[in-house]
Amino acid sequence: MTARLRVLAEAAWPEPGDGSPPPVPGLVYSSFSPLVAAVADRCLGRREPAAAPERAARTAVVVVSASGDADSAEHVAATVAAGGRPGPLFFFQSVPNSVAGHVTGRWGLRGPVVCVSPVGEPMADGLAEAELLIDDDACDEALVVLVEQRPQDCAAAVLVTRTGETR
Amino acid sequence: MAEQVSAERAAVVTGLAVTSALGRGPEAQLAAALAGTAAFAPVHRFDVAGRRVRDAATLPDAGPLAAELADAVDAACADAGLDAAARADTTLMLAVHSDPGARLAAALATGAGLAGARRVYTTACVSASTAVADAATLIRLGRADRVVVAAGYLVEPDQYALFDSGKALATDGAVRPFSHGRTGLLLGDAVAAVVVEAKQVAQGNHAEIAGWGRTGDAYHPVQPHPEGRGLAAAIAAALRRGGIGPDEIGYVNANATGTDYSDGSEAAALRAALGTAAATVPVSSTKSVHGHALEASGLLELVVTVLALRHGKLPVNAGFTGPDEHCPLDVITAAPRPAGSSYALSLNAAFGGACTALLVRAS
Repeated sequence: MTARLRVLAEAAWPEPGDGSPPPVPGLVYSSFSPLVAAVADRCLGRREPAAAPERAARTAVVVVSASGDADSAEHVAATVAAGGRPGPLFFFQSVPNSVAGHVTGRWGLRGPVVCVSPVGEPMADGLAEAELLIDDDACDEALVVLVEQRPQDCAAAVLVTRTGETR
Repeated sequence: MAEQVSAERAAVVTGLAVTSALGRGPEAQLAAALAGTAAFAPVHRFDVAGRRVRDAATLPDAGPLAAELADAVDAACADAGLDAAARADTTLMLAVHSDPGARLAAALATGAGLAGARRVYTTACVSASTAVADAATLIRLGRADRVVVAAGYLVEPDQYALFDSGKALATDGAVRPFSHGRTGLLLGDAVAAVVVEAKQVAQGNHAEIAGWGRTGDAYHPVQPHPEGRGLAAAIAAALRRGGIGPDEIGYVNANATGTDYSDGSEAAALRAALGTAAATVPVSSTKSVHGHALEASGLLELVVTVLALRHGKLPVNAGFTGPDEHCPLDVITAAPRPAGSSYALSLNAAFGGACTALLVRAS
């Protein structure tokens, strides 16, 4: 965590007792989108107190993933290599933005939506982007979500604001 | 409230390089964009026999993406007049589809003698424009004096198949943004790089990134908000940052993909953000000639916008067959128009409701 940011809530998936994350309507086949949605919901739900609508509207989402939706990408690549036609739903989940849009719509987050592939330590990358957006006054809070499907499904989320910011 | 940019920390584009299906180099882009000469043709790069649509804008002699990006980064640095010492003090921001973005960015930075890769953006069709906004932010905040932003997408089988399967591709071989009878988008190649520097250290100056906005619709995983809520907010933020009003905008390089629903949403966003000026500001989408370059689209379109402003003529919105009542805009159709202002907006939007607006001021 940078000295300029303060954590408002944190979450992971899985946490003790977790099974597979709940499915996300319209986003199929892969665990990528369910992982993002589940850990984001858990993190945002842990914010105390819950964000007022105008505060939510000033919240960004930063998705950090090295491999992206690897399950879907591999399925599409294999289908295309075999001369087949991917199912149309794979078009809609071909970029990490889609599940970010699911999260922002559900929680009313109208700040920037940014997806990055980490060049260094993933959380540090995500927090650096969050800090830049906050310092630019593009948002007041940022939800940073880390998600990977390799070597196994895992996701983590942290909701941050600038140090000294009141809620 | 976003602060305006101080003169000395203004972010200026000092070097640029660009390749698309329109050709190699800035002159090729400008000539085709002004003439409205579209580059769409049947795809021969890979097998499209099983696809519903078989057209795209591909550069016949395109090399591998990594090699094309390396050439672009080097050419942009040379255009900016960066010597070895300046390059060694400069980081790279890269916009590409996804894996292996970090490895590619590191290799590109090393190959060009840059200090390293700062960030890799995978935010779909706003990847490159977000990178430019972030670069300008770093400079405004004094956290960097210089950043290279590069972006690349070369039409390939997997994304082509996905867009085809999603019925997003135009069925009549043309992209017709804002037009009656539009049927969708067509994909296109683009590789571009720009050097963005603080004005106080810059030697050259193609244009200033005078304002920027990045927002989200908070509406739907893949559909834009019907009233263009996020894009309107991004435009408003860019104007606020630039300290100008809607009447001072002389051109809008629209995101418009030629898709029925999203072009209407963008027109609504322009009306919401610009008010009465939305009916009179000249608008075109140069996707109508170079196609949709996905992660690279924002940088290609920014470069085209800069080139057009500096040339003093505004690009044509090719493929236009007639007005659409849902897009009541002043679309540039028959011929390029003279630029009436040094300010222009370059707009981009993506799945997930991600929106960006870049405000450009030509030097």
